[in-house]
Amino acid sequence: MKELLLIIAGSVLVNNFVLSRFLGECPFLGVSKKLETAISMGFATTFVLTMTSVATYFIQFYILEPFGLSRFLQIVSFILVIASLVQLVEMVILKTSPALYKALGIYLPLITTNCAVLGLALLIAIKRYNLIQSIAFGLGAGIGFTLAMALMAGIREEMEFGDVPEALRGVAIVLITAGLLSMAFLGFSGLIPM
Amino acid sequence: MYQLVKDFFNGLWNENPTFKMIIGMCPTLAVTTAAMNGIAMGLATTFVLVFSSLLISLLRNFIPAKVRIPCYIIVIATFVTVVDLFMAGYFPAMYKILGLYIPLIVVNCIIMARAEAFASKVTPMRAIADALGMGLGFTWAITLIGAVRELMGSGTLFGFPVFGENVTRWVIMLLPPGAFITMGVLLGIMNLLTRRGVKNTQCH
Amino acid sequence: MNQYTRMIVVLLIFSVLSGAVLAFSYELANPKIQEQAQKNLEASIKNVLPGITKYEQVEKEGLTFYIGLDDQGNKKGIAFKATGQGFGGPIEMMVGYDPKEGKLTGLQILSMAETPGLGARIQEPTFTDQFKGKSVNDPFEPKKDVQVITGATISPAGVASGIKSALEKVTKIYPVGGDY
Repeated sequence: MKELLLIIAGSVLVNNFVLSRFLGECPFLGVSKKLETAISMGFATTFVLTMTSVATYFIQFYILEPFGLSRFLQIVSFILVIASLVQLVEMVILKTSPALYKALGIYLPLITTNCAVLGLALLIAIKRYNLIQSIAFGLGAGIGFTLAMALMAGIREEMEFGDVPEALRGVAIVLITAGLLSMAFLGFSGLIPM
Repeated sequence: MYQLVKDFFNGLWNENPTFKMIIGMCPTLAVTTAAMNGIAMGLATTFVLVFSSLLISLLRNFIPAKVRIPCYIIVIATFVTVVDLFMAGYFPAMYKILGLYIPLIVVNCIIMARAEAFASKVTPMRAIADALGMGLGFTWAITLIGAVRELMGSGTLFGFPVFGENVTRWVIMLLPPGAFITMGVLLGIMNLLTRRGVKNTQCH
Repeated sequence: MNQYTRMIVVLLIFSVLSGAVLAFSYELANPKIQEQAQKNLEASIKNVLPGITKYEQVEKEGLTFYIGLDDQGNKKGIAFKATGQGFGGPIEMMVGYDPKEGKLTGLQILSMAETPGLGARIQEPTFTDQFKGKSVNDPFEPKKDVQVITGATISPAGVASGIKSALEKVTKIYPVGGDY
């Protein structure tokens, strides 16, 4: 139990996917204008990340490795599974909860090309996590992503009223802000022996 | 011919993926701790970009519209795996540094965006010209970021000492915050140079 | 052919071709990848056991040892792998050990995920060279008999404790002054 908490805390704070592993930068810079949408995007991604961790665990350790295909079919099979998984999640949500679909729907197709998802799958294969550890890692990655999104969106909402130099307006100031956020997260490094 | 030259230079400057369109940020920020890493990452991406654009352009009338995205994904992922395998075999030192970010070329938005918005609509020659321009545009941009970070963080450029041995290294430039800040400041300088507000484009 | 069969056929063709291309590239690249791995292993063994020209691989009590030989076939020392816990993950290293003298002959970091510019400097000779000629009975404590790197104490400590715990097992199998 303690180990699982360490995996989650590690992927949320110490090796935050967005701020220290540089995974999922596109939505982080692109969809972080409004707090509400940022959090919706975060939840949708967390959901997909957790599902992906389960799916890729079984593919890696029950299909690819036993048949010796891991070295050359890993990338293709992971990305195809992620794409179909996202599609599946989209259909299920559409059928079961139109309200949820309305909130998350438009973000779901974007998640396929979020490098955090493929990155997670590859990291699970590298770290050789077991099923429960993989789920914890996926969940932690999602929470970390949501946290970074929410922090950035909160700051950007305030920054709307700030007097930003003309050249830095737009993504430039967001990147510099992300740098400061990332510096704050550096404070967590060494918190947990990885 | 004029069209091809125009397509090629488009990616180098006017629609530079890194500084103008601001896509493909994950490798841009992650691997740029040294200038050499930027060149390697850029060329690996260019290879995938050129070959997948060519294939997608050749097959543009054969691929049914409804399954085009899965087809593009298969094509791109195949070329990325080829790069991954040959890099591991022939450039093991660089492969060790770039590590996880080589397979992640699959989800680099530059490739998918060019496949969907350009290569699937034009002749193979134009697709190659555009892919080369975009790829090299990406390469020079991340090499520049890598050079700035290497110069400030380790006091070297392409591994050669610039400021002598006893210089204080700004280690923060090699850490994650350095990546964000360097990219932000360079983007600001580019905006100043071109005197145009950045189109706030995002991925996808 | 209706629309759906065409979609399925196209997808199928793409998948089969992709599989074929990848299997072919793998066949082509794999020998080179193996060769590189072998070359790296050999280079690291020769680096930590100076003066050897070849080595023999020996398995003992679940551990792998590489016994280094010079061109006359004299045993010049033993190389083995050790793992330490670093700041960003495990640190893997190759250690050279001379049982006759009870001393280390060299250290090379094989893989690590330490912070660039700080902990990652454990790879530099200025750090690794201090282990050359170090007695295996030393305490291996950072800041006492192991010099650390400014701004990074955990990575050198991981290296030191990794070597120490590996040596505890190794010196039981190949005791100091004993034959090997």
